[in-house]
This record gives sequence, structure tokens and C-alpha cells, in this order.
Amino acid sequence: MRARSRVETRVDQILRPLGNPTIKYYLTVAIAGAGLLWFLLAWAWQLKYGLIVTGLGDWGTTGGVPWGIYIGSFIWWVGISHGGILISAGVRLFKLKVFYPVARLAELLTVGALTIAGLFIIIDLGRPDRVVVSVIRNYVLTIQTSPLAWDLTVITLYFIMTATYLLLTIRHDIYVLRRRLPARFAPVYQLLTNGYSPEEDEKVSRMAWWLAFAVVLLAPFLLHGGVIPWLFQLIASMPAWYSAIQAPTFLSIALTSAFGSVIIISYIFRRLYGWEELIPDKAFRRMGSVLALVGLFFLWLQLQAIMTGAFAAPVGVRTATEAKMEDPIYWTAIGLVIAAVLYLGAQTIWPALFSMKRVVLVSIIPVVATLFEKTLFIVEGLANPLFDIYKAVPGHYIPTWVEISSIIGGVSMLALWFAVISKVLPIIEVEAEHEGQEE
Amino acid sequence: MEDKSRLTNSESGGEKKVPFEKAPPLRPFNADLAMRVAEDTQKLTQGKLSEPDYYHKYHDAYVKEFGIDARPVLSSDTIGKASSDSILTGHMSRRTLLKLGGVALASAAGARLLGGRALGAAANLGGNSSGFPLKENGEQAEGAKRVQMGMVIDLENCDGCLSCVYACSNHNFNSAGVLWLYILAFKDENREGNNFLVRICQHCANPPCVKVCPVRARHKRDKDGLVLTDYNLCIGCRYCMVTCPYGVNYFQWGEPERANYYHPKLTDYRGRWVIGNPPKGVMGKCTFCPDRQDDGRGNVVCALTCPHNVLHFGDINDPNSEPMRYLAAKQKEKGGNLSTFRLLENQGTKPSIIYIGHQPTRSAKAVDGPVSYADWGLVEKRLDVLQGPKPWFSKAFGGTQ
Ligand code: SF4
Ligand code: SF4
Repeated sequence: MRARSRVETRVDQILRPLGNPTIKYYLTVAIAGAGLLWFLLAWAWQLKYGLIVTGLGDWGTTGGVPWGIYIGSFIWWVGISHGGILISAGVRLFKLKVFYPVARLAELLTVGALTIAGLFIIIDLGRPDRVVVSVIRNYVLTIQTSPLAWDLTVITLYFIMTATYLLLTIRHDIYVLRRRLPARFAPVYQLLTNGYSPEEDEKVSRMAWWLAFAVVLLAPFLLHGGVIPWLFQLIASMPAWYSAIQAPTFLSIALTSAFGSVIIISYIFRRLYGWEELIPDKAFRRMGSVLALVGLFFLWLQLQAIMTGAFAAPVGVRTATEAKMEDPIYWTAIGLVIAAVLYLGAQTIWPALFSMKRVVLVSIIPVVATLFEKTLFIVEGLANPLFDIYKAVPGHYIPTWVEISSIIGGVSMLALWFAVISKVLPIIEVEAEHEGQEE
Repeated sequence: MEDKSRLTNSESGGEKKVPFEKAPPLRPFNADLAMRVAEDTQKLTQGKLSEPDYYHKYHDAYVKEFGIDARPVLSSDTIGKASSDSILTGHMSRRTLLKLGGVALASAAGARLLGGRALGAAANLGGNSSGFPLKENGEQAEGAKRVQMGMVIDLENCDGCLSCVYACSNHNFNSAGVLWLYILAFKDENREGNNFLVRICQHCANPPCVKVCPVRARHKRDKDGLVLTDYNLCIGCRYCMVTCPYGVNYFQWGEPERANYYHPKLTDYRGRWVIGNPPKGVMGKCTFCPDRQDDGRGNVVCALTCPHNVLHFGDINDPNSEPMRYLAAKQKEKGGNLSTFRLLENQGTKPSIIYIGHQPTRSAKAVDGPVSYADWGLVEKRLDVLQGPKPWFSKAFGGTQ
């Protein structure tokens, strides 16, 4: 009897967000909607006049930098999307129970962030209208040589996999909760649970396991430790990029920003819906510890890059490294990550140092710092090409309001995504079997 | 410039000694025809003659002399024939082509695409007459090599006058600051005076820009190794610009400032739009004037314009091409002490430009040349003029933004 009532309360709690919207909810949606609208206006402006409305320019005689915030944001969002699915896959593959309550949040983050990342590629293009036709037309050829074609392919594949994964695991919950979900979304539920029967659960969980397994392999090997860094590390004309260390560095940054954002989003939901029981402090403490670890990994790789670039490097590499080291933004970003790692590491060792607020505040740091780091990586790399004899090299880049609006737009889109999805679907898994097993 | 007179003979119509043993014997051609064509080309420029009239007037004479009239013709079906692969696979003999080159050169004086300034330069054209992409079948087999159009650029002759830069920019209607051809003046530690580097797309034999393009808009044309951008396919990702080690790409960030109205044709013989300045949101760079390669005129506008015999355009895989003969002659003249280089060769791009002169060293510093870009009405640093419209809300903030 006691166990049963416990399950009930848990379900009650899970269903909290699905109730009628509050004023606060409307306010959030309004603000995020305004942010998105603002960005759409900026984008329309860009579509009308061309990329000339950005701060970008050609490198060489022009004195510009051809990629900037858009590509930086693209990598950043892919990075965030990454960790999300890795957390959830970790739960499934390695039975990391502490992360169980945030697994679905992380999956939703993956799908949302990946969509936004894809959008940033489109925003960066001079002719977004052509992308589908042009890419398909010579795909057989380009897939053999173009890292950008690889990226488009792997991201599409990754999107399909995570969406399938999410769908598979959510069908069970919708079925179990079908009587208690808001009736107005009934068609959505019907669609999602189409053909579902409880007997499929076992098969589905095996499928989900294999999908999780594939994602765990795919993400580090092919995506953030693969085609995304390859976009840069294979380019010999830019010495700052041309280094085999990019792949692990990218992966460390992805994990850092991903864990940071899962902490932030979980905390927001916990605050909003009083989910102290569902997402206990312990989950945050552990996530903080993991964040400290991946942050340390990131710092270690930065050290490798700087040592190699500064000691007795070939001229091009040295110039690029010097440019990086002279940049206050770089050191600010690194300094912030160091501070975050120090605190998160300390709270791992001395639990007395742990406080919910502090962990969350400190988690914001690496998330923001990685966006700066990524954009800087792109811009500094392109500003210091190998062939630097031009008068106008190193190039300059000052982002315009259009580009800065895109950051606001991206964040607003994610907020809207969560606002909408949390009203329709249970964002924490119901599955009772894990309940009793918690330590 | 004695080698100039030794190397070239087709523009004068007379037979002269060719310094390279392997060079094919040249035959005099109808110099009269060349003169008349040149005159009428001028009339065309001045608007005294209509284009169709101009083309038809000498058609028979061309056919009689060369067996083919490979000039660009306005009617579309003739264009198709004249500039299609059939020329390539070649029923024409090399000799014919060289003669054709002579006429092309003579009429280059009036090349309406060059505008006024080129007229003066034309008298000085020098030995750039046989820059032809076309080969005879027999010869192809013998060398068994691919045709790769490229250049021999004699930096020793360059004085930084920027005539070629102006001609290129005007010919292609490029936006301000778009310098497909750029003359970089530099000072080097151990060398006196100004040195020049003619920086142009290297039309690499192993071009990284083609490799990375996600849509194959950037491609290498099979027929003659030109690296081109299909303006109808390009999605404007700028990856080619990022990966080209030379910095020769120029994106069309906004609406093109000038239309391509002058070009007779914007598509090459395959019907792909690769000529002239690119539309908004699309990548551009030096094209090696595909229209000229296709219609039999050959050569490139910059080389035709250079008054100092610096640029030599032709098939660099063919030892008998004009640039390679020029190189060989110069080598002979210098007794094998000629300094040549290819730019950033260790990048593995296999550039198709061979420079005569000295490669800038690491200590080289770019300086202002004797003639400034502003003197020609050109912009050197594009970022200065690359400015979008003020946003609609700028008024609300006092008009600044
Ligand atoms: S010079 Fe640059 S743009 Fe030209 S073919 Fe080589 S890599 Fe491509
Ligand atoms: S900018 Fe155009 S030509 Fe260059 S890589 Fe992208 S799609 Fe290809």
C-alpha cells in the first residue's frame, strides 16, 4: 500500500507542468516569443540585404573574417545537444541512477539544441533557399570529400536517432498516463502511441538500449569528436585549426557546455514545479562533479595547445597562438572555467561546500564561456591564416546587431521548445521500477 | 625586352625565329584581315557598328582563313556550336590556332570588354598570343598529359602599374574591393627596392576549395583545368574561401554593385553560369575568362592588358605553349640561373601558376606600391566599404548604429 501511494505522488508531481498555464508561464512564453520575433526580423533583414548586414568579410586583401558568431553558435548548440543524449544514454547503458530523473530533460534538450544548431548553418549561408536542391544534386560526389557534407549527413542521422530514441521511450509513459493527460492534446497522444501495446515494452527497451549504444559511439567518434572538429582541423590554410587536438578539445567543450546546460534547465524546472523530491540535490552534486571533470579535461587540452603553439612552433602556428594568448576574451573565458572547475571540484571532495544555488550559478559560467571560446576559435583562426603577407591580415570582426540577435533568437527558441513540450508531454520518466531501487 | 620580340611573331604576321626547338613552325596569316577586324572592333566599341553586323561581316573571311569562325556569336544556336566541346576535340591544327590567336590579339585592341585604357596597352601586348586551351588530338596523345591552363608570371618585369588589376575588375564588373587579381608590393630583408607578387587564383591541380565545397559548385572544369564556381549551385557557405590557402576568394556579401551587362555570355560551353561577377550570396574569384577559352579567342584579359610582358597564359603541361616557351627561353637566357617558384607549394595544392622571380620570405612586409589602388579608382581594403544599410530602428537611437 505504501509503495503504491508513493508511485501515485510521484506521478502527481510529474504531471504538475501539464496543468493549466499560470501567468508566469504566459509571461515566459511572451518574453521568449518576443526574443524569437526579434531574431526573425533580424534574419529577414539579412535575407533582404545579404550577409553584408553582418560584420563578416573575406580574408585576404579585404581584412575580414568569413565566419563568426553563426558558426560559433552552430558548434556550441551541437555541443549542448550532445551531452544531453550522452547523459541519457549513460543512464540506459551504465545504469547511472543519479541521472535518471534528468534523462528525458536531457533528451529533449538534445532534440531542441540540434534543431537550433541546424538552423544556424542555414542562417550562415548566402543562399539558404538553395540548400536542399544543391546539396542533393551532387551529394554522391560531395560526401566523398566535403567535411560540410559529412556534417550535414551526420547531424541528420543524429537527429533521426535521438528523435526515435525519445519517441520509443515516451510511448510507454503516455500509455500509462493516458487517462490523466490533458484531453485537449488527445490527438497528439494518439499519434505518438499509435499501435502501442504494453507487450512491446521489452522489445522497445532493447531497441532503446542499442540506440543509446549507437549514440554513445556516434557522438564522440563521429560527431563532436569527428565531423564537427574536422570542419576545422583538416584545414591546413588556418594554422590555429590545423591540429589533431581539435577533436578531443571539441568533445571536452561539448560535454562541458552540455552538463552545464542540463544543470541549469533541471534547476529551472525543479524550482518551477517544486520537484525537490524528483530531482534531488544529489543529482546536482553529481552533475557538478562530472562538470568539474570535463572542465578539467578541457583546460588540460588548452594547456597542450598552448604549449605546442608557443614553445618552438612553426611560424604560422606561433602567430596564431600568440594572437590567442593576447586576447583578453580568451583569458576571461579560461579564467572563468578554471574558477568553475575549482569550485565544482571542491564541492565533490568536501560535501559541506555544496549548495544548490552555488552549483547552478557556477554551471552557467562554462556554458557562456564555451560560446565565447567557440566564436573566438573561429574568428582568431580565420584572422591568422598561414598566408599572412597581406596588409589587411590579421582580419577584423565586429559582430553586428543582426548576429547578436541570433544568439537571443537561439536561446528564445530553446525556451519556447521547453515551454511547449512541458505542457504536452511528461518530461520526467514515470517508470516506477527505478523508484524503489534508489539508494 | 628582346625576348618578347623573339617569342612572338603572330601579331606582326611575319615568320620569325622561335627560340624553342620544339615550337611548331608558324606560318604567316592574313595580316590584312586582322587589321580590318581590329578597326571594326573599335567601331563596335564606339557604337558605330552593331554586333550582328560585326560578326557577320568577317564570317566568310574567318572560315576561309581558319576553317572555323570561333568568335562569340549572338544567335544562340551558333554559340552552341562555336563554343562547344567540338572545338576542343579539335579538328583544327595547332598552326591554325596560333594564327587564330594572332587575329584575336589584333582585335584585342578593340576588345570592347577592356574599355578605354586597354587600347593604349594593346600596342604593347607582347608575346601573349597563343594562350590556347585547344590541342590537336595527335599532340594530346604524344604528351598523354592533361590540359592545365595556367600562367607563367614574370615578376622581374612587373612594375606594379596595376593595369591588369583594373582591367580584370572592369571586365568582370566586380564590386568595390573585389580584387580577383591583386598586386602585392612587398619589401624583403635582403632584397633592394619593391618586389611584386601577382596574386591570383592558382587554378590548382589539387584544389582544396573544390574538395570542401558541399555542393560541388566549386569545381574543376575537365576540359582545361579551370577552377570555377557554378553561380547557380553555390549556397554561399564560404568554405572554399576558408580553405583556400591563398585568400583569392571574394564573396558577394550584398547586391552586386554592377550588373554583368557587358558580357556577351555568362555561361560557359557547358551552359553553366560561371562567368563574370557572382550574384548576391554567392562566391566569386578569378575565372581565367572561360568565355575566351570557349569561343576560341583564348588568353585572359589581364595578360592581354599587361604592358610589361609579365603575364603569360597557356597550357602549362604543354612545353610548346607560349608560357612554357617563354619560361624556357628565359631560362636559357639566364644560363639556368633563373629563380622560379610556385606559391605555397608545400600546401600540396599543385598551383598552376609558375612565378619567375623571388618568393617572398617570412620577413617580407607588404608595402604601398608605386601606383595606388585609389589612383585607378579601385578599393584595396574591401572591409572599409563593406557596409550594410542602417537598420530601420537606427533613427530611434539618434541615427547612429
Ligand atoms: S588558389 Fe584557392 S581558389 Fe584557386 S584553385 Fe587554388 S585553392 Fe581554389
Ligand atoms: S561558398 Fe559556394 S562555392 Fe564555396 S564552398 Fe560554399 S557552396 Fe561551394
